[in-house]
Amino acid sequence: MNSPVSSRPRLIDRNGPLYLAWRRFSKNTPGVISAAILLLLYLMALFAGFLAPNNITTQHPEAVYQPPQRPHLIRDGRLTWPFVYQLKKERDPVTFITRYVEDTARPTPIRFFLRQGEPYRFLGLKTNLHLFGVAASEGYLFPLGTDQFGRCLFSRILVGSQVSLTVGVVGVFISFALGILLGGISGYFGGWTDNLIQRITEVLLSIPRIPILMALSTVIPARWPSTWIYLGIIAVLAFIGWAGLARVVRGQVLALRDVDYVTAARSLGSPDLRTILRHIVPNLTSYLIVTATLALPGYIIGESALSFLGLGIKEPMASWGLLLKDAQNFQALGLYPWLLTPGLLIFLSVLAYNFLGDALRDAADVRSLD
Amino acid sequence: MWVFLLKRVLIAIPTLLLISVLVFAVIQLQPGGFLENMLDDPRVSRQTVEHIRAQYGLDQPVWAQYLNWLKNIVLHGDFGFSFLNNRPVSGLIWERMGWTVLLAVLTILATWAIAIPLGIYTAIHRRGLAATLANLVGYFGLATPDFLVALLLIYAVLSLGGTNVGGLFSPQYIDAPWSWAKLRDMLGHLWIPLIVIGLEGVAGLMRQMRANLLDVLNQDYIRTARSKGLAERVVLWKHAVRNAINPMISIAGLSLPNLISSTIIASIVLNLPTIGPFLYQSLLDKDQYVVMALLMLSALLLMVGNLLADLTLAWADPRIRYE
Amino acid sequence: MKKTLWLLAALASGVALAQTKTVTGYDSLGVVIGKPGGTLTLALSSAPQTFFYYGAIDNAGSTIANQLFEGLIEYNLANYKIEPALATSWTITGGSKIYTFKLRQGVKWSDGQPFTADDVVFTYTQAVANPEAKGGDPGNFAGVKVEKVDASTVRFTLPKPAPAFIQYMRLPILPKHKLLSFSQEAGKPAAEINNAWPTNVDPKEVVGTGAFRLVSYTPGQKVTLERNPNYWKKDAAGTPLPYLDRLEYLVIPDSQAQVAQFLAGNLGQLNITGTDFPTLKQREVSGAPIRVVQFRALFGSPPHLAFNYDDKNPELAKLFKETGFRLAIQSAVNRKRIIDDVYNGLAELPGNGVAPISEWYYNTTKLLGDFDLKAASAALDKLGLKRGPDGIRLLPSGKPLEFTLTYGSNSSTFSAIATIIQNDLKSIGVKADLQGVLTSNLLSTGRGKDWDAIILGFGDQPDPELRTPIWKPGGALYYWHQSTMPLKEGDPPQFNNFLPWEKEIYDIWDKAASTTNFTERKALYDRWQAIFARQAMVIMIAKANAVGAVSTKYGNYIYDLGVIPGYYPVPLMYQK
Repeated sequence: MNSPVSSRPRLIDRNGPLYLAWRRFSKNTPGVISAAILLLLYLMALFAGFLAPNNITTQHPEAVYQPPQRPHLIRDGRLTWPFVYQLKKERDPVTFITRYVEDTARPTPIRFFLRQGEPYRFLGLKTNLHLFGVAASEGYLFPLGTDQFGRCLFSRILVGSQVSLTVGVVGVFISFALGILLGGISGYFGGWTDNLIQRITEVLLSIPRIPILMALSTVIPARWPSTWIYLGIIAVLAFIGWAGLARVVRGQVLALRDVDYVTAARSLGSPDLRTILRHIVPNLTSYLIVTATLALPGYIIGESALSFLGLGIKEPMASWGLLLKDAQNFQALGLYPWLLTPGLLIFLSVLAYNFLGDALRDAADVRSLD
Repeated sequence: MWVFLLKRVLIAIPTLLLISVLVFAVIQLQPGGFLENMLDDPRVSRQTVEHIRAQYGLDQPVWAQYLNWLKNIVLHGDFGFSFLNNRPVSGLIWERMGWTVLLAVLTILATWAIAIPLGIYTAIHRRGLAATLANLVGYFGLATPDFLVALLLIYAVLSLGGTNVGGLFSPQYIDAPWSWAKLRDMLGHLWIPLIVIGLEGVAGLMRQMRANLLDVLNQDYIRTARSKGLAERVVLWKHAVRNAINPMISIAGLSLPNLISSTIIASIVLNLPTIGPFLYQSLLDKDQYVVMALLMLSALLLMVGNLLADLTLAWADPRIRYE
Repeated sequence: MKKTLWLLAALASGVALAQTKTVTGYDSLGVVIGKPGGTLTLALSSAPQTFFYYGAIDNAGSTIANQLFEGLIEYNLANYKIEPALATSWTITGGSKIYTFKLRQGVKWSDGQPFTADDVVFTYTQAVANPEAKGGDPGNFAGVKVEKVDASTVRFTLPKPAPAFIQYMRLPILPKHKLLSFSQEAGKPAAEINNAWPTNVDPKEVVGTGAFRLVSYTPGQKVTLERNPNYWKKDAAGTPLPYLDRLEYLVIPDSQAQVAQFLAGNLGQLNITGTDFPTLKQREVSGAPIRVVQFRALFGSPPHLAFNYDDKNPELAKLFKETGFRLAIQSAVNRKRIIDDVYNGLAELPGNGVAPISEWYYNTTKLLGDFDLKAASAALDKLGLKRGPDGIRLLPSGKPLEFTLTYGSNSSTFSAIATIIQNDLKSIGVKADLQGVLTSNLLSTGRGKDWDAIILGFGDQPDPELRTPIWKPGGALYYWHQSTMPLKEGDPPQFNNFLPWEKEIYDIWDKAASTTNFTERKALYDRWQAIFARQAMVIMIAKANAVGAVSTKYGNYIYDLGVIPGYYPVPLMYQK
């Protein structure tokens, strides 16, 4: 403002709507924290192979349902290099409960940047570099414990996040594209177009998901690689998911299509689609942001219902939903509570998405008097 | 208005027909069913299975089965026969309808009663601890799968020594006549499904309400109303809230079929005597006419809900008109 | 003293008194004299479909029918031998073709009507042998003549000797006077019998000779039974059975919900799986008023791994038909680990088509082989399946050795077994792609053509003969080699597609079906089990133990019978 040098074109328009929105957003503490959490989660997903100390499919029959190993810094009263104790398995002869006790005779140092195990792919290159772990010859490191097969839960959560953190976003994107377009057209044109699209949405909405998914589970071939199946699922979920949104968009468009500025735009010869997308849909921004963040958990959690039906991400691959399935019995709740961690992450990410959604909505609200 | 209504009803008929064809096809796509599984019992031979297949007309081509089903509905009002139960479908559904409707109505009421005030509150008080807490409550239901909440609640009740861990009654009250004790017992059980199923929808409704209200509050006519010197309370309730509720009406219309098909898995975990688990079991057994009847009922409810929503919308929002 | 008096009184009333059956001889099982009164609440995994036993194949319905009705004979609870029930004695004559049953005198239906030979004849001719009855058994009663000799004698005449025929005499006898109007005898079509006693029937219509009678059914929630005052069994002290006044069944489909209801004290007894054992046992150890017991089981469905001999891919079909291949895979199946990790140690090595606890069992443990990945690898090498660049073995055509492994996705047991097997197969260069289908669709998937390998289980039965359709090549459930099945209903199997050892098995079964001498039959079935194991026809995985939990409120809960869950003798149970 007080800068005398004004010949340079300003990169940031300090009165532009985007900048104002940013200012409003940055003042929203829960929103900013959520954004940071999400950023962290996505970075985690991106570097999953590097951050995961173990291979996600390797089973350790001798370390089944092992609780998380705590890192230690102090041994014999002295500060040392971080290490973990190996755990000794004991099976109660009466209850058949498997228990683990720390074998204090076997401290195993945690090593950083070690190369071992099966290589993973990262940005096209193959490597077996891991941020941390213990040398395979010295023992195991399972920071969040293991599952029924003795697989490292921490590593599985990391790799599973790749699926869970994208399935929602992609799914929401597809179903919103369909929903906005078809809902918009339906409400804007009215008449038989409206009728046709409304009937289609009714058909889609009125068939509950479970039978559709059950039928689909028999159609998708088992030989498909996991990624294909994954894409297939997103497409299916999204294809079923757009109808509800289309209903609401239509309702709003119906209300807005005869508002002055829309009639004006139309009379000025603006093409129909453009009118819908440029003049009507922006009015729905806040509604759409909210709906999108609300729809996300449905995709993340819904994916676990799919695996129940034999669809979805298949063993030995992992996703949060699939991992959480292991925690759905009293045995897990009582004896192996660490299996609930994927649920915690689902909770965290959904929370973050929704607080972020709120913040974005408020930020985009140009007229808001704050 | 009446013309519109008539048109909608008329157009609903081909839609329902289309849905019924699709649903029938979807059911047929599934392999197996109860007939094949009977073979594992040493009493059952291949011949028995063939006899039963013929008895039920399942040896006929699929289209013939469909037309037959349709014919019986149109001519006799007969929605078919449950293969497994040897009984007409309608009776089986009717037996389970009471609890289903009661639970659905109660959960919907609970959801709206919590969500709308919370939505309004968080719209007016956008920041602060109370608002964040309100949001947290809403998101909790959203972010945890309902069946996990159910399991956790049951686990908690068990750990505290409670006995109300599923169903709607303690065993001794299930077939007892109504009494105060029975009602009290039911209330002791009811809160778990209300929380599990009700909480799921709170976040959605609350957020929608908040967003809508915020949008409306920024509209010019609200500013006009305010500048005219109307009391804030009047502005808020008479102008803002009423307009903000409009889009919610569409959602309400869509929630009608939830009576039947929503929260099936949670209902199984909670052992609720509702239609959801019945539908699920019938799907697994491929008891096709039960599935057909239930899915068609769900479709019908959706269309009725849709129509009601449209009518209410037109009544509530003068900008919408149907020609 | 009291006892003697009572006996005298009984003798005095002599003829008028029913011929009761005294239930004794179970001291070794810990059965004591109980106390009359009380209520027991049990769980049903699904709602009953009908109260007419022959109207459906329905677990819930059968469980209830067990308490409402009795058969001519029943199992001894201690040694599993057949002993009298509604029949007091029987003879087998005419070259093992004529069975004559003497019926118990003075037995009354729960509505007071007398039980006679007419009821037996009616049940077997109108329901059991009725080809349209959904839960009938016309297959085993084809050509069997059932006649009333006099009011208390019934004769069955068989077209040819059938050694397992006596097993079918356990079927419940139903009342003619209540069911006549649904039968062909009354001029109704054959299928009409299925409409008898639907779930909304008036409970008073459902009349039996069993320990309990029906009081009410609340749809989808609860079945209530009460003590049948006309029941004809007494305990060793002469107290009429059952002890309990009421028996209630709660419909609870979800197994976790069942566990919750049991722990909350709303259920008196519960059959559980190995998965829930530690949780419940831990509570018992820490003082909860429950008892958790586990025993070797006769019934129950041990899972097996089958390969499709008629695979759509001819190369795979050829491989799957080779015994060497199946044996190699068998040595990569880690049974010990599956028993430990999947069943929580509550399972044993499987028999081959026969439960290890059964008297028909032939010890095949040695033939099951040991878990040895190196040996498995070497065996596959020997078959000429060399490893490709990515470690997966190659078929002769150069394509990778990859197939789908189908399992029940909503069964925690099957999916865990599949995951373990897939992992071990991977290490010997065999790629199995997991394909989950709903457990209810498993059998039909297996009986279809779209599968390569599958994990499935069939229920074990007390006599191998009862499982003929599964284990005899060409049978309706011999699904892994469907090209042996007859082309048309009633035709002989397609012998030209038989493998040599399958022909051998076929002949053994044929011979066993007409042999009545136990020792000879046993020798035949022993040979079959040995061939089964040696050829690894299908790879048997494990046999789960039966696990049950009971509230300490109840006495005489005997579970170490190895019987099917739900068959434990409720009439002997009492509330302390």
